[in-house]
Amino acid sequence: MTKSGRDSYKDELTSLASHNEQIVCIEADLGGKNHPFQQQHPDRFFNFGIAELAGIDMAAGLAEAGYVPFFSTFASFAALRASESIKLTMGYMGKNVKVVAAYGGVSGGWFGTTHHALEDIAVLQSFQNIRIACPYGERETRRVIQEAASSEEPYYIRLSRNDVFDSLLREEEASCREMIVEGEHRNGLSRLCLVSVGEQATELCQRIIQEDDSIAHAHLCYIDIQSLKSYTEQLTALSHRFLVVEEHRATGSTASYLALLLPKYEIYSHDCGEQWPIYGGTHTEVLTFLGFGYETLKQQIQDILGGTADDF
Amino acid sequence: MEQTIPVQSIDIPLLIERAKEARKLIIDMASAPTGCHIGGSLSVIDLLVGAYARYYGDPDTVIILSKGHAAAALYATLHVYGIIPDNPTDSYGEEGSLFTGHPNHKLPGIPFATGSLGHGIPYAAGWALAQKMKGTKGLGIVIGGDGELQEGLCWETAQIVQAQSITNFVYIVDCNGGQNDGYVEDISPIRNLRQRFEAFGFVVKEIDGHQLEDIVASIEPHPERPVAILARTIKGKGVAALEGNPESHYAKIPKKLAYRWKVGLS
Repeated sequence: MTKSGRDSYKDELTSLASHNEQIVCIEADLGGKNHPFQQQHPDRFFNFGIAELAGIDMAAGLAEAGYVPFFSTFASFAALRASESIKLTMGYMGKNVKVVAAYGGVSGGWFGTTHHALEDIAVLQSFQNIRIACPYGERETRRVIQEAASSEEPYYIRLSRNDVFDSLLREEEASCREMIVEGEHRNGLSRLCLVSVGEQATELCQRIIQEDDSIAHAHLCYIDIQSLKSYTEQLTALSHRFLVVEEHRATGSTASYLALLLPKYEIYSHDCGEQWPIYGGTHTEVLTFLGFGYETLKQQIQDILGGTADDF
Repeated sequence: MEQTIPVQSIDIPLLIERAKEARKLIIDMASAPTGCHIGGSLSVIDLLVGAYARYYGDPDTVIILSKGHAAAALYATLHVYGIIPDNPTDSYGEEGSLFTGHPNHKLPGIPFATGSLGHGIPYAAGWALAQKMKGTKGLGIVIGGDGELQEGLCWETAQIVQAQSITNFVYIVDCNGGQNDGYVEDISPIRNLRQRFEAFGFVVKEIDGHQLEDIVASIEPHPERPVAILARTIKGKGVAALEGNPESHYAKIPKKLAYRWKVGLS
């Protein structure tokens, strides 16, 4: 049975820690009871309680001493509440800390705006030198955790709540740094390339290209600035026109940075707009309220390409 | 591998000389075009000199100056101990110099860039936790300010230190009574400080933060509890014109005045 990103993280880290004694798991009272890491490696599991700034700074001290600390909490509390700790320890000083942030975007649904994070990528991207990953589904999440554990770079890994997805197919040894392309035209450029970031976005893009094979789809797992720069050559071989689909504000989004990297190309954004998500509902319902979803995406594509929505 | 230096073998008169030499460097940094945070640097310098006298050379112990605005004191200490060979007064604050106004982690002996108050305390606690996990005798030693205690992060850390039984942690507070805009007592008093730390499970020691013999003797871990050292200090200590004056928090002084202050160091 496929696991959610959050459960995949716990499971994979617990497994990795059996072979890597430097891995330390830190929670801020949001890891849940019966955490598998705590059960299997109790001497390397710490619930520091509701203290996100201290938790990340302490993780930096552990990293300096040679450990590989993974610190997990919700995205809003990590990227926003503890943003200065991340800026200083991980960005400026490059300490080997891995922040795993669940509840990315509005995956918290009815829990409300305090538990949403539509600004985290903008904040993290502005810090420089931090790897930012938004894995899609269980396999990709596990792979990202493996890559983070074996890297000396600081990581911010954005996960959702409990949604479950099958990751896109990737070659066995391929890094998640490599983009996955679907619907690539063998002859010439596609009239539009969708660029997906995150779980809901990737799901939407897959659905669109199944209905219109004239559109390509590039799935990005890593979206830090260095990774985005590495994609440009491959992206521009796909199309001259890109629509980035990302569960985030437009400001500081992947679309906004790609627009800076590719000034001669058309870059559009399907994002969560400008409203505050004040109503309850499921993850999908809150996204719909914010104008993010299948129907609005389909309409946006039609507006970009011209013609009617039924054309594709 | 060098080990922690026993208290009885520490040459206190030599430390007093080192502290005086460091004070001269601090005054010289105040006479740089940028000036420096001289008041808090002069209050904390004996604590730094004492901490390094005990633990410099112990690879398992880290000493963090969390009140990073006293960077001039840290640079001076690291220079008099030979950890930073370059004289900080030659380029302090200048273009291209690593001697920035708050501690620069690109310099030898500075693993963590402090200055945004509060962050050095959990960093040192994390280091201490790592040593506890490794089973070494290493310590996390942090020197903070009393004004800094207004930051919630200090108490977040004290809470975790207690909860995780991090007993190899020594938190030294430079109680100089001043902060940027005036006296701590006038802005946001930190009353019952001993009781506050005791409530978080710390063993509390109160010392004269300018008596080097007391300082080096007090920076010791407790076998069962973290240690808080409340060091009574004088802002601007050593320069009569500055002592106890919160206006001494930051100063930019002429070279001639720097000369007079160095000659007149008490």
